[in-house]
Amino acid sequence: MKKIISIMLVLLMVFALAACAKSEPASSAEPEKKEEAEAAVVVDTKILKEADDKMLNTYSVLAVNPEAPFVDADGKAVADVYVNTAGAEALIQWLLTEEALKMAGEYGFAEYGEYLFYVKEDAPEYAGEIAEATEETKVIRLSTTTSVKDSGLLDYLLPEFEAKYGYTVEVQSAGTGKAIAAAKAGNADLILVHSKSQEEEFVTAGFARVVPGFEAERISFIYNYFVLCGPSADPAGVEAAASVLDAFAAIADGKHKFISRGDGSGTHTKELSLWSEQLGISKEAESFAGYTDWYISANAGMGACLVMAEEMEAYILTDKATFLTFVANNGVME
Amino acid sequence: MNTAFMKAIELISSMDAELLNILKVTAEMSLMSSIIALLLGLPIGIWLGASKFPGRSLLIVTNRTLMGMPPVVCGLLFYMLFSGVGPFRHMKLLFTVDIMVIAQVVLITPIVVGTMEAYVAGIVSSVKETAKGLGLSGFKTFCLLCNECLYQIISSYLLAFARSIAEVGAVSMVGGAIAWKTNVMTTAIMQYTNRGNFSLGIALGIILLTISLIVNIVISLLQRRFSR
Repeated sequence: MKKIISIMLVLLMVFALAACAKSEPASSAEPEKKEEAEAAVVVDTKILKEADDKMLNTYSVLAVNPEAPFVDADGKAVADVYVNTAGAEALIQWLLTEEALKMAGEYGFAEYGEYLFYVKEDAPEYAGEIAEATEETKVIRLSTTTSVKDSGLLDYLLPEFEAKYGYTVEVQSAGTGKAIAAAKAGNADLILVHSKSQEEEFVTAGFARVVPGFEAERISFIYNYFVLCGPSADPAGVEAAASVLDAFAAIADGKHKFISRGDGSGTHTKELSLWSEQLGISKEAESFAGYTDWYISANAGMGACLVMAEEMEAYILTDKATFLTFVANNGVME
Repeated sequence: MNTAFMKAIELISSMDAELLNILKVTAEMSLMSSIIALLLGLPIGIWLGASKFPGRSLLIVTNRTLMGMPPVVCGLLFYMLFSGVGPFRHMKLLFTVDIMVIAQVVLITPIVVGTMEAYVAGIVSSVKETAKGLGLSGFKTFCLLCNECLYQIISSYLLAFARSIAEVGAVSMVGGAIAWKTNVMTTAIMQYTNRGNFSLGIALGIILLTISLIVNIVISLLQRRFSR
């Protein structure tokens, strides 16, 4: 008898969870749900400001230097850190072949009617030999940002590389800050990130190395734009603002809700650079303690933040690729 | 009826290769870690509960503290130890299922020890009396004690298993949630949530709970049979 009751209880929990799943997106999108039958538009958040030079979002790939000044948790130097140099070289070389660049440039057009990434014109193309995988170099650890992974670019590119040369690429995705930290702790063979200042710091500190066939440590090869999104009603008048900086100033002046990633990612770093200096918003929590009525530091991934912005009718800075996938899936990131 | 349920059913019926891999890794990790934790925790728990020696209460307090160890802290500790610059870097264990199992064992063993200790302490005096009355040897007394605990042992195992299958903080840190390798149900749910795909997260949650339910039913049936 007791067991039956306990099983019933567990079943009840399952049902409650399922009910939550139903009510969670529905409660906020209830009025929109009805519209859905007529028009397929569910997402109210839209792109208000884009294609501004200040919003350029460049992705670079860097190979980790096995001779880098690695230090352990106590700050003591560590000499023999394992880095799969051959594997990292092969992947970087392949990413810059004509074939891979073409694939990256075309990605997304079929699904979203818009290109998600553009190939940089001055990207150094690689035409040389690419080493095949051996037993020791088979596993490549790629530390990258959520935007590259969540936009589906890597799932689209990597299988091609893996099938051709026999490598297995293990992808860990986190914000750029975390991705770089993982490389500094010797847990990645290469990084694919999008925050120029953090990348340059990484190079200056000696953590990157030049891959044969290239001239610089930091190889920028694809880009897209960050976009400032917000509710279609646009209470801050962002769309009419002369520049992105003005748009951000308008949001701050009117104390309109703004969702910040708040996780040290490339998007977060970019956003911090767009606020007027008088506000003094920085990575530190104290810096925006006075703005908590409108500045929301979410400390979450891009997709979760977009969902938040949609629910709270807030403004948000996002990379375009993630936003387009978000809209294409009616507010769900696949 | 609703999206998450439909998605859960859809996911299972589609036999999606990635989902199957996630299920396999989850099963491997939670079974291995809970069994190892049980094997380690049982003798310690019974010994702690049944014997009297100076420093026993200190050990018990230490164990109870470890029972409350935040998984994230445990994960961070192992991440630092086995990281590319950590002292155990040559073992190359970071981002493997093995290190996930190790972190889990460290988290779960104190729970097995704690529950066993509390139960054994309650029954030990009467068991000892019976053993004395029957004139049993020390080893036989121990066997009798184990036999008396059978029900509790199974309960402890279920607790260990539940904790291990539901754990996310430690495994995401040391496992890295790498697709096809160390991604388990909970880290996959976290990933989908981070991407804003709540209904798929809940769908996976439903599958996870269903697996837990099945395991619990099977073991509860065994428990009833054995302890009768």
